[in-house]
Amino acid sequence: MPLLGADLRRDLEIRRYPILVYGLVPLAALVLQAWLPRVLGQFAWFDLPLVVTVYFALCRRSPIQGTLTGAAMGLFEDALTQHPIGVNGIAKTIAGFLAASVGVRIDVENHTIRLMLIFLLSLMSSGLVVFVSRFMLGLDYQWRWYTALFAALGNSLIALVLFPMLDRLQIRD
Amino acid sequence: MDSFFDRYRNLLVLLALLLAQIIGLAMQVRRTSEGRSLVDAGDGPGVRLIRLWAEGLVSPPERFIHSLKLGSGNIWQNYIDLRDVRQQNADLKKTVDRLRLEQAALLEDARQGQRLQALVGFEEKYIYKTVAAQAIGSSGSEQSHVFYIDKGSADGLDRDMAVITPDGIVGKVRDVFPHTAQVLAINDQSSGAGVILETTRVRGILRGNSSGQPQIVDILADNRIQKGEVVLTAGGDQIFPRGLPVGVVDKVIQDPERDSFIEVLITPAAHLDRLDEVLVITSTQPRFNQQQQQDVAASEALKGAEAAQIKEQQKASQIMAERLPGLIDPSLPADQQPLHDTSNPNPVAHPPQALHPDRFSPGADAAAGSGSSASGTPDAPDATTAAEPDSTVKPQQQKTGGKPAQAIHPQNAKPKTAQPKPKSPGRNP
Repeated sequence: MPLLGADLRRDLEIRRYPILVYGLVPLAALVLQAWLPRVLGQFAWFDLPLVVTVYFALCRRSPIQGTLTGAAMGLFEDALTQHPIGVNGIAKTIAGFLAASVGVRIDVENHTIRLMLIFLLSLMSSGLVVFVSRFMLGLDYQWRWYTALFAALGNSLIALVLFPMLDRLQIRD
Repeated sequence: MDSFFDRYRNLLVLLALLLAQIIGLAMQVRRTSEGRSLVDAGDGPGVRLIRLWAEGLVSPPERFIHSLKLGSGNIWQNYIDLRDVRQQNADLKKTVDRLRLEQAALLEDARQGQRLQALVGFEEKYIYKTVAAQAIGSSGSEQSHVFYIDKGSADGLDRDMAVITPDGIVGKVRDVFPHTAQVLAINDQSSGAGVILETTRVRGILRGNSSGQPQIVDILADNRIQKGEVVLTAGGDQIFPRGLPVGVVDKVIQDPERDSFIEVLITPAAHLDRLDEVLVITSTQPRFNQQQQQDVAASEALKGAEAAQIKEQQKASQIMAERLPGLIDPSLPADQQPLHDTSNPNPVAHPPQALHPDRFSPGADAAAGSGSSASGTPDAPDATTAAEPDSTVKPQQQKTGGKPAQAIHPQNAKPKTAQPKPKSPGRNP
């Protein structure tokens, strides 16, 4: 894994996007995450807000922005459910922070690294959700490990398609 | 201090956000007395506000996507996804045509099955032996009302056998071939069948007219014949059994050649123009089923008992006739016949004796000289009347087996005992 100095990579490879992309892409992720399960039913094994959070965290290379993006996405995701608001918020806050923190130190242009990172962060996010729900809040949260695995694989596949598409939207000098 | 925040800025932001969310979660979840954690059913004001924002942010695009999906689905289904519709339409038309033909065939089979079922039911109930046949052809001429059936001499058919349907008579077998037969319908001009009108009991001959309608000819004008009267076979033509329905009276017209005769046009009971299945009566011998045979046997047995009883009664009547007096006994003279019997309890009343008889008084000629009868009373019968019972004793005793007449009529005992004994040998030792 090619490692560079953090300050150097952050200065050289911070990507910028049109302002609409910052608003519409997360909104589209939230909308599709709410709409697609109606179409796919129980086969909706993906977490688009997490994918978008990781993408912007990796590309912006700012842990604070990644943290805020993850928190916002997670809170909105929680707000669309009947669950307590903050469960997904905590998970995606940490995921955004970690993605941005890792993105400072690795070559995010490599697709394999991206896919591995999104896969691991997906598993971690699922684990955090379970941890917060069952251990912090003491709720009766039903959890299946293979669902988390399928969701991680699904996120990886989506990232494999979505990340190059979003790369095209960046502002190039 | 500044360097601490600058150095751990990212981490501090993360911790602040995590802490804020944990506090928020703690405010939403409460612990029950049993130690269980529950999420409040009713959201707090802040939580509800966040949910409203999220819903307001996500719902419009969702509605847009949903309407877009419906619209695109309609566009796809109604405009784009029609590539093979023309071919499918052609295939479906062919299928529809084929199914229509099959449906027509099945419908015809069903109708034929119903007709055959009705025919079989009629044949089972019909008292005569019949053979079911199907009309397979016609003469092809409007002036010749004959048709062909699929049964012939091999099936037991013969000439002049009656052809009927459950509705009524159809015609008769005109010609027979090994496996087919030609049937002359009753509406042909050369046909003939003895018929009778059910109500008026007017008999006539049925044959077809030039327009192919059966009519009854050779009957005298009768204004009792009305439209709608039922016409039955009369049974006198040796072809059609008696009582089969022929049709109903349609119209009564004057015979154009004979003034006193009429012609009765008939609406045939059988559908002569739509014949499919017919029955040929091959034997007019009654064919009874088991129940009918039992009824006939019971009737015969009852008839035998009644005949024996009647014979016994006749025999007893003969015996009684021999013992009772007859009106005329050839062995006796005329004045001693049973009609002169004075043992009648109601004798003829004689007129009272006149107080001053004259020549007009009854018996004046006979009593004029003697005057004995004039002096007699009505209670004293004269010799003639007193002697009359004697002449009846003998035959009466003979007819009654020697029993005295006074035993039968006690009121006549005195006069009879005063008379001489009868001549009956049985009674005189």
